[in-house]
Amino acid sequence: MTKNDAAVLTAAELSPQAAKWSRTFDYMIIVIAAFLVMSVTYLNFLLLAGDWDFFIDFKDREYWVLIYPIVQIMMAAAFQAIFWNLFRLPIGATAAALLFTLGVWIERYQSWGGLSYFPITLVVPGTFFAGALILDGMLCITRSFVVTGLFGGVLFGLTFYPSNWAFLAPYFQPVKLMDSVTSLASLMGYTFARTGTPEYVRLIERGTLRTFGSPVWVSVFFSAFVCIFQYFFWWLVGTLATKATFIPVGYRFKQLYGMKDKVQSGGAKPVGAEIKTTGVVA
Amino acid sequence: MKFGFWRYRCLLLLLLVISALLPNYAMALGEKATEPYIRTRTVLWYDVQWSADKIAVNDTITVTGKFHLYTDWPDAAARPELTFLGETAPGGSLTRVESYIDGMPAQQSIRGMELGRDYEFKLVLKGRVPGTWHIQPELSVKGAGPIIGPGKWVEITGSQADYKISVTTLTGIHISDLQTYNINRVQAWHLFWFLIGAVWLLWWLRRPLIIPRWLAAQKGRDEILVTDTDDVVAASVIVIALVATVAGYWYITEAFPYTVPLTGGSNKVEALVEAPHPVMIKDARAEYDVPGRTLRLFATVTNSGTHPVRIGEFTTAQLRFVNRDLPAELKNIDPGYPKDLIAPTGLKIDPDTPIQPGETRKVYMEATDAAWETERLMSFLNDIDSRIGGLVFFFDETGTRHMAEIGGPIVPVFTEQQMTKR
Repeated sequence: MTKNDAAVLTAAELSPQAAKWSRTFDYMIIVIAAFLVMSVTYLNFLLLAGDWDFFIDFKDREYWVLIYPIVQIMMAAAFQAIFWNLFRLPIGATAAALLFTLGVWIERYQSWGGLSYFPITLVVPGTFFAGALILDGMLCITRSFVVTGLFGGVLFGLTFYPSNWAFLAPYFQPVKLMDSVTSLASLMGYTFARTGTPEYVRLIERGTLRTFGSPVWVSVFFSAFVCIFQYFFWWLVGTLATKATFIPVGYRFKQLYGMKDKVQSGGAKPVGAEIKTTGVVA
Repeated sequence: MKFGFWRYRCLLLLLLVISALLPNYAMALGEKATEPYIRTRTVLWYDVQWSADKIAVNDTITVTGKFHLYTDWPDAAARPELTFLGETAPGGSLTRVESYIDGMPAQQSIRGMELGRDYEFKLVLKGRVPGTWHIQPELSVKGAGPIIGPGKWVEITGSQADYKISVTTLTGIHISDLQTYNINRVQAWHLFWFLIGAVWLLWWLRRPLIIPRWLAAQKGRDEILVTDTDDVVAASVIVIALVATVAGYWYITEAFPYTVPLTGGSNKVEALVEAPHPVMIKDARAEYDVPGRTLRLFATVTNSGTHPVRIGEFTTAQLRFVNRDLPAELKNIDPGYPKDLIAPTGLKIDPDTPIQPGETRKVYMEATDAAWETERLMSFLNDIDSRIGGLVFFFDETGTRHMAEIGGPIVPVFTEQQMTKR
């Protein structure tokens, strides 16, 4: 145990016995929280941006680059707020990224490879680790969600494309398919056909962003801009989740669920129990 | 009572476990679930052929045929303004090598197909996963969904490990197997980020966590919860993330200077040259005999050609009802065509005599088969417009085939008294 750990336990005024049990409690919560963070982050992403990241031939230069960071910063910010507000732990964004990555690779191997026979290289996922680490690092250094949102949010959006391009670029080499030039990613999508997934369902660079040259960096900067606001909104959502002041644990709540109250079981009825509910204030 | 409650719970749990452990095989791809108005009145497939019914891994199978876009296209389905030719096969059991519509490459979506016109297609597929798979052509219509053609069971033999697909890029890089290309690089990067993230998390999780930190935070002891050392580690993590991002981007851009975007967009394909239609069908209506599983068609046929013609076949929703008394029609049936899609009772026609040039005649056709039920085509009774459509093939004495659309309202009959007297 480090001096700092001892100082925290002293500040918490926990007896050695209580401190020992609190560590056991930590392990239990870590396991439960890991499943929670993984499922919430993954489900949120599936619902809002799933298709864009499933297949290599869906990762276009405009919409994938734009939508992926905007969606992923949601849970990163919310979990950051929860862990920071309650425990001063700057790990929410990294935990979301790490557990999402774990979940997404399990899903790619199990569903797309194992059940559907598709090669894994067709369904490689993107990652938002770079942005998540920067968000957590910045919150730790600044202790301010405002500064983290302003600068970390921008960097979250800006780093997404280059950090993914580092391993995705080879998929965009030019090849020839039936006398037309196409990318290797498009060729893979055409070769490993997915039933009920016609070519037109992909949104490939629709719009006029080409007016500004390469559309990818326009998307990157716009995404970074939107990430600032997404961060603040989802930080507030996460903060709200830490203020569980409305969970009724009093007399009426017990009655509602058929639980025995102290009055019924012979104890004294709490003062004002008929009209008030008590709550857990974080 | 209490015993029974627990017994039911245990039984339920046991059933759940068994259902989870049992392997689930999909024996079809949902074509029966498609509404009858889509299967009978949108894309009508004909002359579909499969080049083989058994291939080895790495061998190819070619699926060819034609489809007619029905004129009375239902309002409930979007018109075929943007379409894509594909095939239905389970997962990656086969890979697509080439696809054509009217001889034009169809790797892109096709726009502007015309109702009432015919198109020819060709799909070249390569065996990848051993097994017996149901292979069907499919035309996806934007707004209407995939419209599946007739299917045939094709066996793929050999070992999946033997499957290879090699590609050479336009920059001269040879890829020996596309199935595994670049996967090592992707996973190495993911692992790199994962390890940094894991180190960062462990840096925090190794300490007393939930209760002590919460209590200390409530007392405002932030200085012991996040220390100067933590700041240094955090700054290092930020620097590593930024440097790795910039360096990785710079390296890959240097390594692969020539890249192209994903290919999108659509092509325009002209329909096949319209063949003369000397035979026309008008005033068609239909009855479906529910207990008899029989479709009865009443229509007026006009032969404005120069040769007498006879009815050879009625086809709808990939089912074929053929006139077994007409040799020209029997010759028209590919021996390799899936037997389950050809009704054994055939098509009864009254009168089944040649319709002379210039003659207009009222004709009655009867198509009986359990397939109306097993293919779930009778749910048209729930459709909002209760109409049916299909194609009728006529043959003249030279064996020349003429095609005509047939379609109209359909009424279910449940008793003999309700049937139209002829």
